Amino acid sequence: MVSMVSSEDRPNPLLLAMIGLAAGVLSGLFGVGGGIIMVPAMVLLAGMGQQRASATSLASIVPIAAVGALIFGQADSVSLPAAAVLIAGSLVGVQVGARLMTRIGDDRLRIGFAVFMIAIALTMLVS
Amino acid sequence: MTAPEALALLGIGVTAGVLAGLLGIGGGLLMVPAMVLITAFDQHLAQGTSLLVIIPAAAFGSLTHHRHGRLALRDAAALGVGGVLGALLGSVTALSLDDELLQRLFAILILVMAGRMLMTRGQAPEPTDPKAT
Repeated sequence: MVSMVSSEDRPNPLLLAMIGLAAGVLSGLFGVGGGIIMVPAMVLLAGMGQQRASATSLASIVPIAAVGALIFGQADSVSLPAAAVLIAGSLVGVQVGARLMTRIGDDRLRIGFAVFMIAIALTMLVS
Repeated sequence: MTAPEALALLGIGVTAGVLAGLLGIGGGLLMVPAMVLITAFDQHLAQGTSLLVIIPAAAFGSLTHHRHGRLALRDAAALGVGGVLGALLGSVTALSLDDELLQRLFAILILVMAGRMLMTRGQAPEPTDPKAT
C-alpha cells in the first residue's frame, strides 16, 4: 500500500482504474455511488488532496451509476416516477443541508446518525 | 404511484438531501433503506432507483467543481473506465442474488459505514461533497 503512494502531481491512471473498479462493484452491488471507498482510496493510495479526490470521484460516479441504472432498468428494477420525485426532493434538501452545515456541530450529528443507521440495519436484518 | 407514496418519496428525497449536505455522505445509503422500509420497495427496485437518482446529483456537483477548476478530467476518466467495468460486474451480481439476501448484505454495508462514522468522530469535518457517495 505504502509503495503506491506517489508524490507526483499526476496519479497513476492504472491505480485509479483499479480504485474505480472496486467502487463500481460496490455501486452496482448496492445501488450507492461508490464515493464511500473512492475518496479515501484516492487520498490514501493515490496521494490526492481531499477536495480534488471528492470532485474527481463525483464525476466518475456519473458513468458508474448510469451503467448500474441501465442494467437494473433492463431487469425492470428502476422506478422512473419514484426517481423523479426523489430527485426533486433531494435537490431541495441538499441546499438546506449545505446551509445548515456551517451552523451545526457535526460530531453529535455524526454519532446520532450512525446510531440511527445501526437501528435501520437491524430492522432490515429482521424484516 | 399513489399520492401518499409520492409524498413519502418526496420526504425521503428531502431528508436524504439534507443529511447528504450536512454529513457529506451519499444519498444512496439513506435512500435505499428508506424506500425498502417506508414505501415497501423490494431491495432490487430500491437500489436500481437509487442509481438513477444519483446520476443528476453527481452530474450537477461535478459541473460545479469543473467550473471552479477542481476537477481533473483525466483522473476521472481513468476512474470511470475501471468503474464502468466494476458497475457491470456489481449490478449483474446484484440482480442474480435473491432479494432477501441482497437486503441482508445491504444491512451489513450500513453497519460497516455506521461503524466507520463512529470511529472518525473527533476529526475535523472534511470538505466532502454532498451526495458524492
